[in-house]
Amino acid sequence: MLKDITIGQYIPGDSFIHKLDARIKIIITIIMITVLFLIDSFIGFGLFLLFVIGVMVISKLPVKRVLNGLKPVFFLIIITLFLHMFLTRGGEVIWEWGFLRIEEEGLFTGLFMVGRILLLIMFTSLLTLTTSPLQLTDGIEYLLKPLARFGVPAGELAMMMTIALRFIPTLMEEAEKIMKAQKARGADFESGNIIERAKSLVPLLVPLFISAFRRADELALAMESRCYQGGTNRTRLNELELRRSDIYALIGVIIIAVLLSFR
Amino acid sequence: MQNEKLRIMTEIAMAVALSTVLSFLRLWRMPMGGSVNLEMLPILFVAFRHGGPAGIVTGLLHGTVQLIAGAYVVHPAQFLLDYPIAYGLLGIAGFFPIFAKDKTIKMKNFLFAFIIGGFGRLLSHVLAGVIFFAEFAPEGQNPWVYSLIYNLSHIIPALIIVGIVIVILFRQSGKVLIYNN
Repeated sequence: MLKDITIGQYIPGDSFIHKLDARIKIIITIIMITVLFLIDSFIGFGLFLLFVIGVMVISKLPVKRVLNGLKPVFFLIIITLFLHMFLTRGGEVIWEWGFLRIEEEGLFTGLFMVGRILLLIMFTSLLTLTTSPLQLTDGIEYLLKPLARFGVPAGELAMMMTIALRFIPTLMEEAEKIMKAQKARGADFESGNIIERAKSLVPLLVPLFISAFRRADELALAMESRCYQGGTNRTRLNELELRRSDIYALIGVIIIAVLLSFR
Repeated sequence: MQNEKLRIMTEIAMAVALSTVLSFLRLWRMPMGGSVNLEMLPILFVAFRHGGPAGIVTGLLHGTVQLIAGAYVVHPAQFLLDYPIAYGLLGIAGFFPIFAKDKTIKMKNFLFAFIIGGFGRLLSHVLAGVIFFAEFAPEGQNPWVYSLIYNLSHIIPALIIVGIVIVILFRQSGKVLIYNN
């Protein structure tokens, strides 16, 4: 049940895109999402798609992985397309059957919206494909720092995130171990209807919860004995550093963004 | 005397890790693409153990981990509402006391708190849907209608099934789960 699971979609690599600073990548993603909402033509989408493909080529991402990200929105895309096809009116009638009618305008707007959704998802998945969860957390922490003035404990939140990410594989392993142990005692996790299966998870959940919270307790003790004092002035093992290439990349993207949105 | 705040923080972190692990244990795959799993359990657990604010933080962080783990973003406001805020609102269940004086769980109170939290999460998904359909659906149509239809077919069944499962689990072993230390 738990085999072959990786957290996040991150594909390790050492391309230019992989090496970009996480903060810059988050900012770039936000800029490009905004651009997608400003583009108002299929040509614009075409150019954007070229940009996405360019990033994919530079970062040597397998096309399949990028397209995989589109699966969960299949349903949404279908709904959007059909809504527009049958409800948006204007232009010539393309197809008619009983009360159903597809008009030119509807088909085009539908395809346009679908294009926007597809590009949005492809572009945002580029971020998670080329940035490790830990770097992303660091990036989010830095970007949230200004909010500390309004009482948002960015440092603490990021610390909890980092611990959580660190312990996901550990707990996963633990869950698997407990499952094996319970199976050896005759537990059955896979058969029955959903309620029965949920109930059968109790022998897994109880030890898993107990050991997880025991770990939390020990961790707190260990941190305290090493004088953990909270988020401010905490140093870190790997500092995020802005390099010249990061700045160039940001400037480049801003130029592309301006060109795409005010073309 | 141990630093209570630090212990709550590490428990929240561990609960987030636990939620993520449980989110991989699929109980049932919905035909439309959603999945039924027990990821809400650790969030509720922290909410009932340490109160509403801790529950909300657990939810916010779990949502963010889900986001990092590869979520779909179709609108700048939608990703906040569908992930961190949705799970965060689940944490409000912790504002309602569920324990009787003898430290047993009052099932009625638990159900009430859980429904409020679940409703919070639902509201967030519905709002995200409204934003999505306001942007992507034909103009002149009411986005609320579409959002409700979409969520009714997609998220509400999943929430109800998970709700039933969690209530059964809590009735069976809620006390063991919450008072383990």
